[in-house]
Amino acid sequence: MEIDTETVLKIARLSRIKINDSESADIQKDLNRIVEFVKKLGEIDIDRIDEFNFGKTNIEDMRKDNVTIYDNTYDILKNTKNKNQDFFTVPKIVE
Amino acid sequence: MNEVKLTQLGIKDSRDLLNKKEISATELTNAYIQNIEESSELNAFIEKTFDKALMQASKADKIIGTDSQKSLCGIPLGIKDLFCCKNVKTQAASVILENFIPPYESTVTQKLWDEQAIMLGKLNMDEFAMGSSNETSTYGPVINPWKSTGSHDSLTPGGSSGGSSAAVAANLCTGATGTDTGGSIRQPASFTGTVGLKPTYGRCSRWGIIAFASSFDQAGPITKNVTDSAIMLKAMSGFDPLDSTSAKIDVPDYEQELEKDIKGIRVGLAKEYRLQNSDSEANRKLEKAIKILKDMGAEIVEVSLPHTEYALPTYYVLAPAEASSNLARYDGVRYGHRANLDTNDSILELYEKTRSEGFGTEVKRRILIGTYVLSSGYYDAYYKRAQKVRSLIKNDFDEVFKKVDIILTPTTPTSAFPLGSKGKQDPVEMYMNDIFTVPANLAGLPALSLPVGLDELGLPLGVQLIGNNWQEPLLLNTAFNLENTLAFENNPKKWWA
Repeated sequence: MEIDTETVLKIARLSRIKINDSESADIQKDLNRIVEFVKKLGEIDIDRIDEFNFGKTNIEDMRKDNVTIYDNTYDILKNTKNKNQDFFTVPKIVE
Repeated sequence: MNEVKLTQLGIKDSRDLLNKKEISATELTNAYIQNIEESSELNAFIEKTFDKALMQASKADKIIGTDSQKSLCGIPLGIKDLFCCKNVKTQAASVILENFIPPYESTVTQKLWDEQAIMLGKLNMDEFAMGSSNETSTYGPVINPWKSTGSHDSLTPGGSSGGSSAAVAANLCTGATGTDTGGSIRQPASFTGTVGLKPTYGRCSRWGIIAFASSFDQAGPITKNVTDSAIMLKAMSGFDPLDSTSAKIDVPDYEQELEKDIKGIRVGLAKEYRLQNSDSEANRKLEKAIKILKDMGAEIVEVSLPHTEYALPTYYVLAPAEASSNLARYDGVRYGHRANLDTNDSILELYEKTRSEGFGTEVKRRILIGTYVLSSGYYDAYYKRAQKVRSLIKNDFDEVFKKVDIILTPTTPTSAFPLGSKGKQDPVEMYMNDIFTVPANLAGLPALSLPVGLDELGLPLGVQLIGNNWQEPLLLNTAFNLENTLAFENNPKKWWA
C-alpha cells in the first residue's frame, strides 16, 4: 500500500482535518483504493505533452485592480457568534 | 385552470399563458407552492422562500404586458444550494456552512432575477457537489419521483444536482439551476427524464457559486424540455467582470435556433462510449435516436476518442486537487460551523476540529486525496501527469470535431439505482457513474442530456450530445429535433402526495 498510516496522518495535518484513530484505517483503505485507480495514468507516455490550459488570458480583458470600499461590516459579522466589536475572535495566537 | 395541469407546464408554456393573461404569476406561483408543500417526502427543497416568491409574483403581474417585461417574467424557478443568494440560507448541503447567509448574490441567479424570474427556494444536492447520488447531503438524500415498475424502492435522483432534477420531474418548479463539474447536471437529468445542459466552460459566470473544482465547474439549466433549456440558458449566460474565466462572447438567442433543419449535420459515434450490454433497452433507445437523426438527414460517422479510459482517473486527481485548495477557506473563523474548543486549544485545533466536524466523509476523502496529489514528492507523479493527460483528452476531441459537428453517447451506463446500493465498500464504484460525462468537463465542452424513453425497469434513460466549444445552438437545435420525434412524456406516477 502506497499510503501508510504515517502518510494518512501527515496529509490530514496538511489538510487541517483531525482524524480519530477509529476512522484512520477506513480512510487509509479508501485513499489507497483511489490511488490504485488513478495509477492507470502511469501507462501513458507524457514526455512531450504540454500541461492542459484553456488558452491565453488577454490581460486587456481583465478588469482593473481597483480598490473598492465595502463598509458593511454588520452584514459580514452577522454570520458569526465569535466577534468582538468589528473583529472576529479566535483562540489566543501570541504568547 | 386545473392546478395539477398548470404545474405540468414548463417555462415556455407558462410564459405563453402569462402573456395571454390566461393565468397570473401569483396563481402559477401558488400552484407550485402547493406542490412543494405536498412533496416533503422527496426532500428536494431544503429552504423555501415563498414570501419572496409571492412578492416577486405580485410584481410580475403588474409588469406583464408592459414594456418593462423581461424574458422570465413570472416564471417560478428552483435554485441549487450551491448558488449564493443574498439573505437566503446557503449551505452547499454541508454542516461546515451551517446557517450561512450570504451578503451577496451570485451572478447567475442575479441574471435570473433581472429577467424577473421568481425564486421558490433552495434545492438539495450532494455536499459541495461531491457525489453522484445525492447521498452525501447533510439534509439526507433526495428521492427520485420515478420508481421501477412494481417496486417501492427509493431511487436516487442522481447527483450532485439531484434536488434540481427531482424538483423539475415532480413539477415543483418550471425549471431549476444546476452545476456540473463531472456530470452533476447531465446524470441527474438522465435519471429523472429531464433535460440537462452543461454549457461551454466560460459561458456562465462562476461568481457566487460555491467553488468545488474551478477549472471544471459550470452552471446550467435542468428543465422539462429543450425549448425551456434554451430560454433559461440565455438568461444565465454572459460575460461577468467578476469571473475572469467567463468569456467575452455574445450570447445567441438559443430559442430562435431550435427549429432549424439538421439535414447534413455530422453526428459522431465513439466506440469508447459503447454500452457493455448491447442487448439492452438502453442500447435500443440509443439506436432509435441514431435512426431518427439519420432519417432527418444527419450523417452518422464512426469516431474514436482513444484516451477516454483515462478520463476518470484524470478527473479524480485534478478535481480533488482543486477542491482541496478551494475548501481551504472553511476554517470556522468567519462564518458557518465552529467546533467547541477546550480551554487550552490553539487556533490549529480550531481549524482541525471544525473541519473534522463540518465536512462529511466524501468531502474529507476528496480533500485528503487532493492534498496528497499536490504534496511534495507526489506532485509530478499525479497532478502534473494528470494535467498532461487532460491535454491528450482535449486533443482527442479537437481531432474528432474536425470530422463531425456533434457526438452522440449514452449519458450514463444505467438508469437510476436504489439509494444505498453503491459505493459503500468502494468509493470508486460510485465514481464510475460519471464515466460518459466527465470527458466533456475535462475538455471544457458543452454537453446536453435528453430523455429518450424508458428502460426495462420503466425508468428514464438519457442520451448525451457533446458539441464543440460555443456550439450550444447546435446542441439545442439537434436535441429539439430529436425531442419532437421521440415525444417522451415525463409523468412519474405521483406517489408522494
